[in-house]
Amino acid sequence: MCRRAPAPSVEHMNTNRISPHVVEAKGLTKRFGDRVAVDHVDLRIPAGSAFGYLGPNGAGKTTLIRMLLGLTPATAGEMRLLGHPMPAGRAAALARVGAIVEEPRSHPFLTGRENLEIVAAAREPEAHRRIDGALARAGLTSRADDRVKTYSLGMRQRLGVARTLLGDPELLILDEPMNGLDPAGMEDMRIMIRGLVAEGRTVVLSSHLLDEVEKTCDEIAIVDRGRVVVQGSIDELTGDAGTVLVATSNDLRARALLDGRVLESVEDGLRVRAADAAAINRRLVEAGIDVHRLEPERVSLERRFLEITSRLEAAA
Amino acid sequence: MTALAPALPTPRLVRAEVLKLRKRRGLSVAVVLMTVGATVVTYSILALLHGVNPAHHGPAGGSDNLSHVIWLLSALGAAAATLLGATAGAGDLRAGVFRELAVTGRSRTALFLARVPGGLAVLLSCGAAAYAIAATASVVLAGSFAAPSTTDLVAGGFWLVLSVSVYFVLALGLSSLAGSRTTPIVALLAWRLALMPILLSMTFLGSGRNVAPDAAIQQLAPHAFASELQIGKLSMATLASALVILAWSALALVLGAWRTATRDT
Repeated sequence: MCRRAPAPSVEHMNTNRISPHVVEAKGLTKRFGDRVAVDHVDLRIPAGSAFGYLGPNGAGKTTLIRMLLGLTPATAGEMRLLGHPMPAGRAAALARVGAIVEEPRSHPFLTGRENLEIVAAAREPEAHRRIDGALARAGLTSRADDRVKTYSLGMRQRLGVARTLLGDPELLILDEPMNGLDPAGMEDMRIMIRGLVAEGRTVVLSSHLLDEVEKTCDEIAIVDRGRVVVQGSIDELTGDAGTVLVATSNDLRARALLDGRVLESVEDGLRVRAADAAAINRRLVEAGIDVHRLEPERVSLERRFLEITSRLEAAA
Repeated sequence: MTALAPALPTPRLVRAEVLKLRKRRGLSVAVVLMTVGATVVTYSILALLHGVNPAHHGPAGGSDNLSHVIWLLSALGAAAATLLGATAGAGDLRAGVFRELAVTGRSRTALFLARVPGGLAVLLSCGAAAYAIAATASVVLAGSFAAPSTTDLVAGGFWLVLSVSVYFVLALGLSSLAGSRTTPIVALLAWRLALMPILLSMTFLGSGRNVAPDAAIQQLAPHAFASELQIGKLSMATLASALVILAWSALALVLGAWRTATRDT
């Protein structure tokens, strides 16, 4: 995890939790009649990280979140949240969890602040003290006393995030938090999530926006047709593709020089199979060929995601 | 480590329910009009008629006119209670906010039970204001009519509280059970304003009518105002009436709490 956080600063950090994982699921299954929405999912989410839960629409992301939060019962399997068995330990676990499931909903006739007061009333007494801080963190202080029906979609989303902070959560579960946000809003959200992780909290991010997840998360699980098909760190799943993009003063000579290592011609150069870009550079320069571009390629999360999901689709 | 969330509603949860109901402008206006507004309009008309033609229209106050107003308030109060109860029961669910409350880990039973005192606080504050106006007017404007005694006034007030509270609880339970606001409102208003008077006047049903909540409510009406309120000739012991009311209220609350606790959100 390349972006692991510094010292935690959560007020109520659960120091008694034995497991280093905030979420543990084993064989978790949910059926709706004959349809299997979540299929024997085994999942472990490490504490203090930003964890992306990725999958195409209908892959079972939201159903898994709803089971974890005790909103719908599991058909089979076991799960623990912050070390508490669910749903038996629901009250103790959820007291330290903030969650947005699907889109955040509010009473439109109440102000943003009043909506937070409603939820704070369901939490511990200290939650009321956190309202101003949560509004400030979500960038809603100036509109806190306006009715929610006057809010934009992005502001409603941010109000939802403010609501998750009222319980001083160890774990935040955000289902598609970037929905409705403009590019600046997405950037703010990304910074806020990294800030929350830097405080020692864990953020689970369910999303289909692969680029945002890649920029925000430390670790991901890819889910398809209800199953977790791969889980690992972003660095493990993306990383070096083993190819280099090369643009030279004479691509024809370069192709001949590099012989069988050239995979294909691309728009402005060659894609070359190579573990060591410097060696390629040296060889071309020594042959009197000017190198205009030398770029080791990385496998993007999007490419890896599409590889995995299309492979599964073909197998099906 | 945070203590387990209690299953009983806290005062903060009750205040939150009051806030949610009070801030619905349309609902608040309707409830005020059906209670305070109706009382003010009724006594204003009675006073105006008496002022214009005292020979044909007696004073606005007095015990008989209070009986009429209590009857009016019980009918309109039941309608207001139905609106409030149905909104309290299904408002969070329809707005999608119930899920946001459920993921706090707070007991769903506590979330449901908080609606009872929260809704009653809004309903009875309006009802109390309306009855205070009616009681004052019945004494101050009694003129040549007999003014109601203090005992009758107190008994009338308690009976009104009972009659509207029962409808609030029925609407709350039904709407929580159905997950809908409109259906229980239509069903209960149709029952209270149309079906119930017909049912209670069907003498061939005999004592079978006693299981209807309205029959029990009417049996408990203060003697001073009973002639205005009784529909059909029913006879039921006070204890039996109380048990019928308790049974209906408990049934509504249990069903509403059960559905709230078990609903997929």
